[in-house]
Amino acid sequence: MRRLSLALAVLSLVLAACGQPAPGGATSAAPTVAASASPTRGGTAIVAIWQFPATLAAHYANQTVTDIVNNGVIEGLAETNTNGEYIPTLATKVPTIANGGAKLTADGKKLDVTWELKPGIKWSDGTPLTSADIKYTWEIWMKDPKVNNRTGFSEIESIDLPNDLTAVVHYKSIYAPYPLNFGSLMPKALLEKETDISKTDYVRRPLGTGPFKVTEFKTDESITLEKNTNYRDTTRPYLDKIIFKSVPSSQVGLAQLKAGEVHAMWNLTEAQTPEVEKESSLALLVVQGPTVERIELNTAINKEYPDPSSVHPILGDIEMRKALLYATPKQQIIDKLLFGKAKPGSSPVSQGWAAYKEPQESYDPKKANEALDKAGWVKGSDGIRSKGGVRASLTYATTTGDQLRERVQQVLVEEWKAIGVEVKIQNQPSSVLLSGSCTGKDPRKLGTFDLLMYASTPGIDPHATILPRYHSKQIPTQADCSGQNYTRFKNPDADQAIEDAGGTLDIEKRRANYAKVMKALNDAYVIIWMYDRANIDARVTGLQGWQGNTWRRFTWNIGDWWLKK
Amino acid sequence: MGRYVLRRLLQALPLLFAISVASFAILKATPGGPLAAYEGNPDFTEQDRLRLEHAFGLDRPLPIQYLSWLGSFVTGDWGYGFASHQPVLMLIGERLPNTLMLMGTVFVVVPLLAIPIGVLTAVRQYSIFDHAVTGTTFTFLSTPTFWLGLLLIILFGLQLRWLPLGGVSTPGAPFDLVDRLRHLILPVATISLVQLGSHVRYLRASMLETIGQDYMRTARAKGLAERVVVLRHALKNAAIPLVTVVALDIPELFVGALVTEQIFGWPGMGRLFLDAAFRSDYPVLQGILAVSSTLIVLSNLIADVTYGYLDPRIRYS
Repeated sequence: MRRLSLALAVLSLVLAACGQPAPGGATSAAPTVAASASPTRGGTAIVAIWQFPATLAAHYANQTVTDIVNNGVIEGLAETNTNGEYIPTLATKVPTIANGGAKLTADGKKLDVTWELKPGIKWSDGTPLTSADIKYTWEIWMKDPKVNNRTGFSEIESIDLPNDLTAVVHYKSIYAPYPLNFGSLMPKALLEKETDISKTDYVRRPLGTGPFKVTEFKTDESITLEKNTNYRDTTRPYLDKIIFKSVPSSQVGLAQLKAGEVHAMWNLTEAQTPEVEKESSLALLVVQGPTVERIELNTAINKEYPDPSSVHPILGDIEMRKALLYATPKQQIIDKLLFGKAKPGSSPVSQGWAAYKEPQESYDPKKANEALDKAGWVKGSDGIRSKGGVRASLTYATTTGDQLRERVQQVLVEEWKAIGVEVKIQNQPSSVLLSGSCTGKDPRKLGTFDLLMYASTPGIDPHATILPRYHSKQIPTQADCSGQNYTRFKNPDADQAIEDAGGTLDIEKRRANYAKVMKALNDAYVIIWMYDRANIDARVTGLQGWQGNTWRRFTWNIGDWWLKK
Repeated sequence: MGRYVLRRLLQALPLLFAISVASFAILKATPGGPLAAYEGNPDFTEQDRLRLEHAFGLDRPLPIQYLSWLGSFVTGDWGYGFASHQPVLMLIGERLPNTLMLMGTVFVVVPLLAIPIGVLTAVRQYSIFDHAVTGTTFTFLSTPTFWLGLLLIILFGLQLRWLPLGGVSTPGAPFDLVDRLRHLILPVATISLVQLGSHVRYLRASMLETIGQDYMRTARAKGLAERVVVLRHALKNAAIPLVTVVALDIPELFVGALVTEQIFGWPGMGRLFLDAAFRSDYPVLQGILAVSSTLIVLSNLIADVTYGYLDPRIRYS
């Protein structure tokens, strides 16, 4: 028994010590096209992954690494190029109002979208792809109780199939992100007789239309993709085989890349880039992504489920919030801690058609001090300011075990101390801090934080980010905990702009309204946008054909990859 | 003896029940939860959360959740992992052979090395050899495995390039025994060097105690060769405590080595447990904890019984 308790104690220590790998880093920007001589055919490329997919079924998956693997296997009707434009994949064109494929109903409240499939496409098992697969995909997403989310699909009222290649999707509302709704098609013929897809082989060997098919899935070891001989483009893929090899950490992945055991690796930290840059046999792919690291400032009282109209004794003062921003040396942090591989943040939407790039005020500690002096925050004998008996002492939370974030914290604690604001670090594991759940004690949901640093990645359509995060009705309360307005930001004009943006398909109007919201947000100084993070991957120079894509992971064009002989 | 074993087994039942209740309670009390992994995705809504909680049975009262798990568990249905949706028994079945290969090798290697070294250090107490072994074993005993493992990887994998950096085999290559053995060397060395330390210390202490006994003098007085005296008379008695130590290690055959498997990317039980712990994958954790606690209780019993068998002076009552 003593041994058992010892074993449990050791176990808990080990668990605590190991910590969690940093949650998937970023996605990114400028496309770096590998200098391509004429591609050669054949060969096997090995890609190191330091997370292993629990499932490859797109409707269950919630790991980034699943996309990395599935990019070679599963396709949808349309996808996004690096400029954030929708391009057709299996469809002949992306339906729009302009080309007549998308139409508002007579009352102007609903949307009908007509998709035409390219003719002659086959699943990798040789069965033809038809419009029935589109309808089936929707049905599965709505029927299976274990799907990850039903975004878009829950907005669909019905789907008509006038012929084998055409599907007309009737939306209940004006669902603007419809082009990417069907991003992963599922094969009806294979699955329709299954009562529970989660218990079939599909979750490990999904059937797709992509350039490769999964031939082997060895849990925690490797996933092998082989050339799909039924692929619609007979000139692709160049490679015969891709092996995704499990490595215990990105450190080991990098070691294996240097040792020549793998050809490419997924997701490096900024701190690892100098190591790659000094090896002539290796190349980096740095692509600006939509992920934005930010520090959110709680404007309501720091206690469980505060009254949304309550005012934080320190951060309730806009001059205090402004001062913290002035005393944040973003560029210096990027240069020193992120090796220049990021850009100073300016808004939650840094990429795509709705990007808002009006910069926040830059680093100026003098202005910070002036703002605080003006607002009546007086420095005490210990150098910390106070006002009306309230000492300027705040807590600062982020995820534990994240080296980069911990270093950023150290810098900022010093900077803020210099302007007379005391900040105490109070970190929590990401499974709590970012649990997004009230029962999981997420401090953002409960409102139990002063300053909280984390990253968030908006999709190509920003509505799913802007609405739940910045509308005043989305402040989480005990009665309704679903909102994500963590800073407790309240602005009636912003609310109106969000609602206007959600009620139209006119991209110019939407862009203008989102810009209004983000300007209001920055004028209120409730969030410090630290930096826009890049997605960083690495390869041996012999592996060619890579291209970056802001909105997709590096394997998005895996069919074009080839190995120099 | 039979009655003793039976009584111990019966006592084990309420103990195991208590352990499973306790581990269930600890898992549930841990903040976070299996749906935390879905966060981060801007498309994941409150409705999705409620639907998944219902699909996973997490919306039921805790006692009901526990009882329904227990009911299925004892009838052989261990449930499905939340992350992979695969049967827990299958998830364990995939990892167990790898862990058995790793820990089984350690189980063979460690005694094979520990016994001769332990005997020699005791017989030649205070010799240079003894001092060298004592120094080395203490060094490894106090070395954390994660550090030792990384050191071996850097030295033999990166610098010398003699051995692979991790995994069980070269991916994409057909089965090859030599390849497997090459992958096995570093993780086995990492675990063995640390275990070897404790086992050598054990055997040395127990040998020294035995060598000083009167019957050893008698054996020598009979004119027996020193070899026979040491191996047949001393070692046989001195090995008794070691047997119990080894018996208590049996659960590791199943549980695997958490840290070492993580460092070497070894797809075994230890990694399954760690991954499940990070994801709060309750069915997987409950299954592994139930088996490992059963094995720990059983191995304690085996250790006690073997001890009594080897040393007739022990009486059970």
